[in-house]
Amino acid sequence: MKLTRRNFLAWAGLGAVGAVACEGFGIRRGELDIQSSVRLPEDLVRGSDNWYASLCRTCPSCEGIVIRVMEGRAKKIQGNPYYPTNQGKTHARCEAGLQALYHPDRIPTPMRRSGPRGSGEFLPINWQPNGMDSLRSALQANGSSSVMITEPLRGHMALLADRFVAAIGGERLGFEAIDNNTFRTAVKNVFQQDSLPDFDLENSKFILSFGADFLSTWVSPTRFNRGFGEFRQGAGRGRGMFYQIDSRFSMTAANADKWLPVRPGWEGYLALSLAQVIVSENLQARGVDVDSLVGGAPGIQTLNNFRPEIVVPLAGLTPEMTGGDPVNFLKSLARSFAANRPSVAIGGGSAGAQSNGLFNLEAIYALNFLVGSVGKKGGVKFNPASPWADVPNASTAGSLEDWARVTDQIRSGKTKLLLLHGADPVHGLPDSLQLRDAIAQANDLFVVSFSPFLDDTSVMADLILPDRVYLEDWGDDISEPGPGYQVVGFQQPVVNPLFDLDPLSFPDVLLTMAQELGKESDLPWANFKAMLREGSDALFNLNRGSIEASSADEFWNNLLRRGGWWDELRNGPTSVRPADGLLRTIAEKASSPVFDGFGIGADSFYLVPFAHNTLLDGYNGHLPWLQAAPDPLSTVTWQTWVELNDTTAKSMGVKEGDILRLTSSKDSIRAVAYPTPAVPPDTVSVPFGQGRKHGSEYATDRSGSESSNVMDILETTLVKDTGSLAWAGTRVRVSKTGESISISKLEGDVRAVEIGLTPGEEIIKTIAPENA
Amino acid sequence: MVTQRIDHKWGMVVDLDRCTGCQACVVACQAENNIPINTKSFYQQRRAYHWIRIERYWEGEFPNVKAKFIPIMCQHCENAPCEPVCPVFATYHNDEGMNVQVYNRCIGTRYCSVNCPYTVRMFNFWDPKWPKSLRNQLNPDVTIRTRGIMEKCSFCVQRLRRGEVNVERRGIEPLTGERIPAADRKLNYRQMKEGNYLPACVQACPTNALQFADQNDNTGPVKEYFDEANEQIETRHQGGHVDEAHTRVYRLFEEIGTKPNVIYLKKVEPFPLDKA
Repeated sequence: MKLTRRNFLAWAGLGAVGAVACEGFGIRRGELDIQSSVRLPEDLVRGSDNWYASLCRTCPSCEGIVIRVMEGRAKKIQGNPYYPTNQGKTHARCEAGLQALYHPDRIPTPMRRSGPRGSGEFLPINWQPNGMDSLRSALQANGSSSVMITEPLRGHMALLADRFVAAIGGERLGFEAIDNNTFRTAVKNVFQQDSLPDFDLENSKFILSFGADFLSTWVSPTRFNRGFGEFRQGAGRGRGMFYQIDSRFSMTAANADKWLPVRPGWEGYLALSLAQVIVSENLQARGVDVDSLVGGAPGIQTLNNFRPEIVVPLAGLTPEMTGGDPVNFLKSLARSFAANRPSVAIGGGSAGAQSNGLFNLEAIYALNFLVGSVGKKGGVKFNPASPWADVPNASTAGSLEDWARVTDQIRSGKTKLLLLHGADPVHGLPDSLQLRDAIAQANDLFVVSFSPFLDDTSVMADLILPDRVYLEDWGDDISEPGPGYQVVGFQQPVVNPLFDLDPLSFPDVLLTMAQELGKESDLPWANFKAMLREGSDALFNLNRGSIEASSADEFWNNLLRRGGWWDELRNGPTSVRPADGLLRTIAEKASSPVFDGFGIGADSFYLVPFAHNTLLDGYNGHLPWLQAAPDPLSTVTWQTWVELNDTTAKSMGVKEGDILRLTSSKDSIRAVAYPTPAVPPDTVSVPFGQGRKHGSEYATDRSGSESSNVMDILETTLVKDTGSLAWAGTRVRVSKTGESISISKLEGDVRAVEIGLTPGEEIIKTIAPENA
Repeated sequence: MVTQRIDHKWGMVVDLDRCTGCQACVVACQAENNIPINTKSFYQQRRAYHWIRIERYWEGEFPNVKAKFIPIMCQHCENAPCEPVCPVFATYHNDEGMNVQVYNRCIGTRYCSVNCPYTVRMFNFWDPKWPKSLRNQLNPDVTIRTRGIMEKCSFCVQRLRRGEVNVERRGIEPLTGERIPAADRKLNYRQMKEGNYLPACVQACPTNALQFADQNDNTGPVKEYFDEANEQIETRHQGGHVDEAHTRVYRLFEEIGTKPNVIYLKKVEPFPLDKA
């Protein structure tokens, strides 16, 4: 450009304006300063994050979560502070939802089987037309002889799935390897409630728990942990007292003030023994109609058969366990339980997983009537019905009897279509049921899996149509157990699937199929979001609860922002009248536990399996953070270990790291020995969860010596009257294999022993005694 | 310094009577701080990365047996044994009571690790590895540590900085987004909770066994315990006697004089086992 006077003035003017503008925009003080080299990159936080409310799906209890999203990627999961059940807190499992989202082994596209069934050979196909056409053809041909197996469902997903199978004429079963059926039945029989109750630990003064590992894996551990913290050291209250009566020293038992090791299967007898002491010494809470509860004089007579003197030898209690006479101990425990009100009795886990599990749990829960804690503060709290008339607030799961029936149906050709979502029954059912073989050999069977990951069941599929994972999808849930009032959680997609993934939402696929099969009248929604939106509008029209809004749109937005809706004024029943003669009825049901297979004998051990703290029944086995999280007691990671008493181990010549073989009448597995002082000498314990044979390397890359599935050796003993698997009702023989491996655990090679507050030199000596 | 920071002195309180050993803090820390996946061989080699870990101690023999859990993380000592031995000043004490690791100074002598009585320093023997897709989860606020670098708990300094930036420099109230008057711009406990500025372990802990705040914040949950602990130190310094039976407050290895900024509250034992 030629420099003229006119140009010069124009540029000078622009320059001046620019200078003023830049000054106005303001380069902030400090930005031009030289950075100090000791400042960490963490000091230079830039960018902004968004937090979205949603729901956690890494365990059956539903927690409210918030997810931190930056630049279109989910970065962190935390508890939703507003959500009533977990109140901002999470379990270790919740955090690992991110790894499910960004897992390297996600199935990217639909696939169809290209090799023999179960070989794991698949070819990618497109959703349209191949994937959807195959599904539609299968539903058209065999919908009426189909079985849909899902995770236990509640909320609109349960409604949708149930309506879908009803429309096509099939059947749906929820699958839980360690199901709550016996607990549910006990709650129904004792309290006449259809959904699981809450336990108000926060306000309780005395917790008496039988077999329930409620701080680690049982029912709703995050909620129970939240209450337990307050139970221990909450402001404005005294410290609560906690007894755990359990055949295994679980994480929950470790947190008890006193652990009482009971012979497996005798928990119900102990509970009735406590009831007998309370009744005979007239210790029940004021207002409790003992005569009606016990069933008059005949009831008292029946209850007298459970006097501590009779029960103590049956339950295997010794003076060493109770610090003196066990009879006096039981009496004193009953007195403390009755005196320190509000007190609460909880039963579950291995106590309900015996042939007499239902009797055990009923006897345990009936104790709550005697101490007046049913429906009351500090006791058992009941949950109200669903805010939507037709939407289930309680999940259902098939019993072992159901699974045996389904296996037979597959084998006989009666079931021709298997639809799988969120369930891995081949891994989670006893091997002796032979579900895998039945599926593999059924020529007329067509198997469709909607799993985003390959597992032991989806590897048997003919067609895989990968679902979105929960951080990418819509959903809702009714927390079970709720906190004693109506709570509905909402799940929203917080990120899109990564570009190389092509999943489709499972409920959307079902709705599309319903339309294509002409079932719109049963399922009239265009997509699952529309269905949920209708649910939101129904909540808005109730004109109550936690969300304030002047329009249905505003309500929907606020609902998603808050992560759910709840109404603290809609409580469950606060009083439940026990059936006349309840204790007598229960006592008359009493039976001793049955151990099929080897039976009771000196050469075998009680096998008390337990849900893994993070992997649960194996559902989370593909998530590396959860594989790598040390077990709270053994600190073992990545491997299957056998807990056995260290004195027993010594007498057998077994040391830590030795590979043991556990044999039942059904089969045998191998696992790593972990001797501890906290196992009864006649018992061994093995976690569920490992031993997957197909799918992600994180779950499968170990040999059978390191990772085995304890389900493979369980006897198929049923819990009487519920038909569920009595998973703690197996006896095994233990033998050495002569092999030994390095155990993968957090603790060091020398056992860490608590020695209290002692001067420093002694601490060092005690931690490493042989070096002292 | 780029900006003049408001004085803080951060501190953590661990209530062992509340801790159930559930591992929520451990996984939360892994997720927040880009800690490599602890493989089976890491554990077998005793090289697993845990900025916070739950130690389990057995007590007694069957049937009178107990297990106690104690979460251990960097104690952020006032007299940190790790600091004076670092030849390159990669670990130093900042003005907020934190023991800080400067990754780009660290040359990997591991002297600090040897000198730490709490065994909370982790050395990167190898470059961390994540499958490509899992890298999407990595926290952009936290540096990935490479081979040859020492790392440890930072009290989630990135969260504290975000809190300081948002509340103290920009004056934004976390929940409402309202402007905070200049005179009131000091990050308090409520704002830390509402803005997700608490360390990840504290935020996750379902029993509230872990508490974190400014030691001088009257509204926070830690001040009373630090006041008591400091009083104990003063009493001992002057030759007085602290009645251990009537206090739950203690610090790990207090007798070696490291003055940690983490306080433990003893577990209450209604039925102590006979240790004789």
